[in-house]
Amino acid sequence: MACERNIDRIQEAVDGTLGSIRRADLEMHLTECEDCRALYEDLVRIRDAAAALPPQQVPDRAWLQIAGRLRQEGRIHDVQKPAPARRWSAAWLAAAAALVIAIGGAALLLQHRSQPAPVAQTATAPRSSSGNSAPGKSVESVETVQNEVDAAQQQFEKAITKMDDLRKANMSALDPQTSAVISKNLNIIDQAIAENRAAVKAEPASVAARETLFEALRQKVSLLQDTISLINEMRKGNNAAAAQLVNKS
Amino acid sequence: MATSKGAGQASAPAASAREAELQLVERCRRGELGAFEELYRAHSGRLYSLACRMLGNAADAEDLLQEIFLSAHRKLESFRGEAALGTWLYRLGMNQILDHVRSRAGRAGQITDGLDDATTLADPQGHRLADRAIDRIDLERALAELPEGCRAAFLLHDVEGLEHREVSEVLGIAEGTSKSQVHKARLRLRGLLRER
Repeated sequence: MACERNIDRIQEAVDGTLGSIRRADLEMHLTECEDCRALYEDLVRIRDAAAALPPQQVPDRAWLQIAGRLRQEGRIHDVQKPAPARRWSAAWLAAAAALVIAIGGAALLLQHRSQPAPVAQTATAPRSSSGNSAPGKSVESVETVQNEVDAAQQQFEKAITKMDDLRKANMSALDPQTSAVISKNLNIIDQAIAENRAAVKAEPASVAARETLFEALRQKVSLLQDTISLINEMRKGNNAAAAQLVNKS
Repeated sequence: MATSKGAGQASAPAASAREAELQLVERCRRGELGAFEELYRAHSGRLYSLACRMLGNAADAEDLLQEIFLSAHRKLESFRGEAALGTWLYRLGMNQILDHVRSRAGRAGQITDGLDDATTLADPQGHRLADRAIDRIDLERALAELPEGCRAAFLLHDVEGLEHREVSEVLGIAEGTSKSQVHKARLRLRGLLRER
């Protein structure tokens, strides 16, 4: 058995915190005491083996689930919100139109599995529009702001329906746990959309109520886009790229 | 976590690194998902490894990792930069991990007291450890047999590479206690590995 009085010194030597004089003294003792030398060598080997333990690989889905929960709780946003515009409803209309075009691309991707998924690019489309960037002559020709809002909402819902159909048809590409989390998240967002719709119905003139509804719709679009991106990459067997691509969206 | 392995801060001047951390935290507070993802990517691996080795179960570790980062997002408001962000996250994470371990042990009626000297100093007959290589699986299994206090200190110090001062910050214990826990853990591991 190692000399009890030397055990602390041996441990400090293993820690690398033993002063030079005490260390020299210990080293001299180790040349004479086999048990203490064995203890020192064993502890060094344990320390080195511990330091060499490889890190555990975090599953890709962990970040997706964290991001999903942060979105649900309304605690994050993906990019900066556009500055308030005079004709904010026109911005929503333009965004919704861009979204519908983007959905076509997503659908095409699911049919051509070998192509890289540009869904991450489409994710920013709704937010990149501003009141001054509505396409063509459309903005001024819309009769009322109310009509623009209604039209934008319809476009969003149309896009969501298409994306949701795509998602449902391809969910088998995902593992059951991920599917369950996505479905749960979608249900929560759907609940928020329903509540916001009720608020808009109760106060049709409230800009804040409409903005909140659109935000909920956009959250759903974002989640659906993430899901479709994930499906694309999972089908290619590229789990890491799937997480990377979705995380960038 | 400036001295932990792979922390990526040692090469940059400390003040600059701290400033970068504060900017990242500020972006997280503003709700930028990209900023929080950056924070997650920098620290999730070490926290997940810690959780796996403390809980002995990857599924539980994954669940807890999510809770740790959701909790971190909520608590970033209170981060003032007194400690390094990594140390702050380790402390937050380790508190949740230990709560989970103790709650589970409580439910199972297990005793999770620390090691006494009689246990750690026992010198069972057997081959010297230094006569053979330490198998990684054997080491992981032996680690799982340590009481949680010793295991936490050992993982932070010998596996993650924190100094005793940092271990004491993370675990909320005295620096001397950190040394004592790590030293006891090594002795106990030696005994366990020699029995294998």
